[in-house]
Amino acid sequence: MSERPTAPELVESILEFLGGEILPTLTDQRLRFRTLVAMNALSIVYRELVERLPAEDDAAQRELAARIRAGDVPPGTVARVKADVEARLRVASPRYLESYE
Amino acid sequence: MIAEMREALQSVLGTDLSEPVLLAGGASKEAWAVDAGGRKLLVRRAAVGVIHKHTLSLEHEFAVLEAAYEAGVKAPRPVQYIADLDGREAFVMERLEGETIGRRIVRMEPVPPQLPEQMAEELAKIHAIPRERLPFLEEARLERMIEEFDEVGEPRPAIELGLWWLREHRPPPREPVVVHGDYRIGNLVVAPDGLRGVLDWEFVHVDDPVRDLAFALVRAWRFGVPEKRLGGIGDAEPYLERYNELTGLDVRPEELDYWELAGNVGWAIGCLTQMRRHLSGRDRSVELATLGRLGAEVEYEICTLLERVAA
Repeated sequence: MSERPTAPELVESILEFLGGEILPTLTDQRLRFRTLVAMNALSIVYRELVERLPAEDDAAQRELAARIRAGDVPPGTVARVKADVEARLRVASPRYLESYE
Repeated sequence: MIAEMREALQSVLGTDLSEPVLLAGGASKEAWAVDAGGRKLLVRRAAVGVIHKHTLSLEHEFAVLEAAYEAGVKAPRPVQYIADLDGREAFVMERLEGETIGRRIVRMEPVPPQLPEQMAEELAKIHAIPRERLPFLEEARLERMIEEFDEVGEPRPAIELGLWWLREHRPPPREPVVVHGDYRIGNLVVAPDGLRGVLDWEFVHVDDPVRDLAFALVRAWRFGVPEKRLGGIGDAEPYLERYNELTGLDVRPEELDYWELAGNVGWAIGCLTQMRRHLSGRDRSVELATLGRLGAEVEYEICTLLERVAA
């Protein structure tokens, strides 16, 4: 699945934050150097994630969304959609699910 | 820049001022604290971006604040609108003392017990402001959410399910009134003795009053206290009862449930439009990017509410 922002898009936003907002404030030479090293490591992660981005994107999600928009909501749809949202949350915000227990 | 602004402010207000301190510099607005003698003031000044296309201009926001203050709503006293303050639009209001951070309000010990009723009282006063007093206000329809969602263009079946249920179960429309548009704990000033004031008037428009009433129930704004349905500070019942008592509207709990779901759907879409600001390059920000993924929390709540109404 390639939910937006995709993993490389998120990494890119962190790289911009580190380079644009953090790096200019660092006066300690050692910290500057280590931040540059960290940014370089993140760039490697970025490129590897771009390579692995699935080609067949969110076609299934689009189809399901269009069906619901047309009013075609068979029994069990909420449970199915909820399971999918839960799977996304386990990546994006796993602790949030605990607040429902 | 601070020196220029202070000078410009001094000449407009005709009084000596302390050095302005920047409290918050968002993409759309700056907030400066400044003191004039013993008077504590707050300057809201335009920044570069616009957070939302339906945001009021600072001139209109000031007019709204004046109308609310005249109507007896607890709000900062408006002082002056300034069309050009060192190059940008701004207005000055008095600064209220108290807690404005939602996460801290829900953790006050104790949370002022009268807060739910007080929230209902202020909202009832806002809803009674005559529409004619603010002729520039736009009327919002529920359909606006769908337009915003379609502009983002991301497939989100959970949001579609929420929209579908809202279409199928719409309560009879109520007479539209002046609404706050962002009425929740994070936009209040609270002190140990209770509610001091209502802030953030930039989303005021004309709409269904119950939609405005239910907004404070949305789970995303309970600040880590999800079991307290009213913004993490209390139960919905005393809030609803007091509102009904003051307005005579006889809002039923099911109607509140309906608009709570609508508030969640609106915020789930809001997360996507914020993400789009980043992806489009208009406002690059790791916070906005992350919000795109955190929208899944709101989608989960939508599914949970749908299961509840179906049961």
